[in-house]
Amino acid sequence: MHPIRLAALAALLCTTSTFAAEGGGAPGKTAEELSKPCAACHGPDGNSTNAQYPRLAGQYHDYLQRALQEYKSGERKNAIMAGFVATLSDADMDALARYYGGMPGKLDDLSKHEQGD
Amino acid sequence: MTRILLARFILRATTLALFAAACATSALAQDASKGDAKAGHTLVYTCGGCHGVTGYKNAYPNYHVPRIAGQNYDYLVAALTEYKKGERAHPTMRAQGESMSDADIRNIAAYLSSITP
Repeated sequence: MHPIRLAALAALLCTTSTFAAEGGGAPGKTAEELSKPCAACHGPDGNSTNAQYPRLAGQYHDYLQRALQEYKSGERKNAIMAGFVATLSDADMDALARYYGGMPGKLDDLSKHEQGD
Repeated sequence: MTRILLARFILRATTLALFAAACATSALAQDASKGDAKAGHTLVYTCGGCHGVTGYKNAYPNYHVPRIAGQNYDYLVAALTEYKKGERAHPTMRAQGESMSDADIRNIAAYLSSITP
């Protein structure tokens, strides 16, 4: 198994069992604390260097929030992400989305990068 | 004695050259499968209608369309392929994905991931 996947799964198992005891949600956790499991794949600064995983830093926060909600509802299917979001409350997802959206990153819209022939 | 040494040297040099050639070939093969950023640059003209308008929002539900310039290559290929296969729900993106060949997807991803701020 790929080391990063293994790390993600291990992190997933840890968070699942911890949060299950609290009955879902993580009251009082800061976005930085909530982001620890995310860092395994998306990087501590939200700029994943493994091309398999999306960069989050500087993404629109409401898009990130929507993506997390879709993983939770099952509208978007990804085994790893489904496991992580299962433990997050709406407030947690909002906090995480704002946390990563506010980070400096390489993402941009296409306004300066499109062309016609 | 000298002749044997010379023969050994030639054998080793040939082996080395063959190995180097094999490496170069596989590197080229990888580049070819990775998509052509120049071809992608032309294709993303369509994407700019939504992703090229700073602050543009999806009508319903209401959230910003994501920043895709500078996103990671493998993730972009996976996302577009999921839209193409109908595994991700967004209607406009599904329609776009269905119109793309696998090569188009790789070319678009190659261009978008090559963009730096």
